[in-house]
Amino acid sequence: MIEAGMTAAGKVLDAVTQALNVIGSALIVGLMVIIGVDVAGRGLFGAPLPGVPEMVSLSIVAIVFLQIPAAMRGGRLTRSEAVLDGIIRRSPGLARWLETVFDLLAIGIIWVIVSSTWPLFERAWTRGTFVGAIGDFTAPTWPVKFIIMLGSSVLILQFVLRILRRFLTTDEAST
Amino acid sequence: MTPFEIGLIALAAMGVLVLFGLWVPIALMVCSFAGVWAIRGSSTLAGKLLALSANDTLQSYYFGVVPLFVLMGFVVSESGMGRDAYDVANSIFRRIRGGLGLGTVGANAIFAAITGISIASAAVFTRIAVPQMLRHGYTARFAVGVVAGSSVLGMLIPPSLLLILYGIITEQSIGHLFLAGVGPGLLLACVFGIGVVLGAIFLPSRVQPNRAAAEEIPGLTAREMLVKGLPIALLIAFVLGGIYGGWFTPVEAGAMGAIGALVIGFAKHSLSLAALWRVLVETGLVTAAVCFLIIAAQMYAKMLAFSGIPAGFGDLAAHADLGLMGLMLLYIAIVVVLGMILDSSSIMLILVPIMLPVLAPMNVDLIWFGIVTVIAIEIGLLTPPFGLSVYVIKSTIDDPDIKLGDIFAGAAPFALMMLFVLGLVLAFPVIATGLL
Repeated sequence: MIEAGMTAAGKVLDAVTQALNVIGSALIVGLMVIIGVDVAGRGLFGAPLPGVPEMVSLSIVAIVFLQIPAAMRGGRLTRSEAVLDGIIRRSPGLARWLETVFDLLAIGIIWVIVSSTWPLFERAWTRGTFVGAIGDFTAPTWPVKFIIMLGSSVLILQFVLRILRRFLTTDEAST
Repeated sequence: MTPFEIGLIALAAMGVLVLFGLWVPIALMVCSFAGVWAIRGSSTLAGKLLALSANDTLQSYYFGVVPLFVLMGFVVSESGMGRDAYDVANSIFRRIRGGLGLGTVGANAIFAAITGISIASAAVFTRIAVPQMLRHGYTARFAVGVVAGSSVLGMLIPPSLLLILYGIITEQSIGHLFLAGVGPGLLLACVFGIGVVLGAIFLPSRVQPNRAAAEEIPGLTAREMLVKGLPIALLIAFVLGGIYGGWFTPVEAGAMGAIGALVIGFAKHSLSLAALWRVLVETGLVTAAVCFLIIAAQMYAKMLAFSGIPAGFGDLAAHADLGLMGLMLLYIAIVVVLGMILDSSSIMLILVPIMLPVLAPMNVDLIWFGIVTVIAIEIGLLTPPFGLSVYVIKSTIDDPDIKLGDIFAGAAPFALMMLFVLGLVLAFPVIATGLL
């Protein structure tokens, strides 16, 4: 029963993670295209696209936070596994607790990012903070702050799921 | 406790956590957060700094280079340009003893000029070069060793992801760093090439024991050379020429390079839409992992500044009277040791912020220092127990008979040759800075 619920929750979370990943990948293409258009416009017609540096700087933050849950899920966050592998071989029980402590540390610190980004988001939303120059090109900064909180929250849930998978399921391979 | 002591404890805790397998960016963030909290006695301040690191660090035009150059590198690997470079290089070197080994080094040098990640080079040439060398009677150890060794050229010959990262954290010109990587990169390629030929002549049993039985490698016709070589040459000229001709910023060069690689890949019918999507997702994951690390390193740098550790180390270095060379040797030793447990970007982001203030009073050329750092880090990629390039080769190669130990043993002569080149760059900085 618990396992079935867990699996369902895991599937939903992985689907969300995947969706963010797809949006992030599409943003990379977008980045490439707007820069290409800007260079071509400047070189061929003497008419650069307005606001490209601003769009690049905002979308790079968005790309990273959209992809980070998928990177974690795919085991791509940088870590040094040699000692841990040794512990897993000698004492799988100890390794489970060690991994859980790591997950909790990660949840804690990412939560600090989410909760301390919230005031920044609120300010950007109410005051309408933007980048660029009025009359030329402006872009609001609140969507990026929102994406930071969204991506970090999904990342937290992925860490929670790692703990649940470890202790609630008998299927070790899934972790 | 003084801030300095708290800082040291935070560093030590970080080392232990990373060693036991905590994700590097999480370890950096947790220990830096706790460190700032302990030093200033305010968790709110520490939280604000962390939020600023996450929100403001990446919000800069120059970070656009990271995904774009990574994308270009992956598209280039996927569209078969590694194979083309290898065919061209083999055709040139086929009459020389150890020709296929020499071809691998040459192809890696060419490939390095269109991709910026050692891991990409290692994976591509494990698939292309190792089977061909085995077919022609080379030993497995030599074949994997030469692939592992020459894959490090990818990080030295521009464009290079590591040099981009270094430029970002030290605020040095990425264009200048790229230019400074050319000399040492070509020198290293030449040293590798000479080493391969000498090995083939004087130690044939270790390199190519079955030379007599091997069939001759057919040369390419002039037309084939042109078809295989020209797209790569155009791409190199486009990207690097664009930067130094003043046409593109490095960010734009990354985008134009990726577009150029896509056009070539589709024109050659070697890039499918499915492959393109896979490459895009891969680019996103690599970008996220690297940039998340940069965010963590930013928080870490703030903690270091609060603790005064770099200044403290600077005093120590000044009192110890090591001199610049002594300090550099100590630094290189630490880098190589760390290279045995950590990946290249982590080492750079952890060590360079500590070293910069220490070096500041010595008037060190930071471009030269960057090149030295990159070579030292790449030596770590080849050394046991945890050389990353070696693991990539092991996981790419589909042959249980080739053990990790074989790859490390095969790569060892190349690590020594890198050490030699590193010594040359230390003694004669002009190798790196001569082109500036």
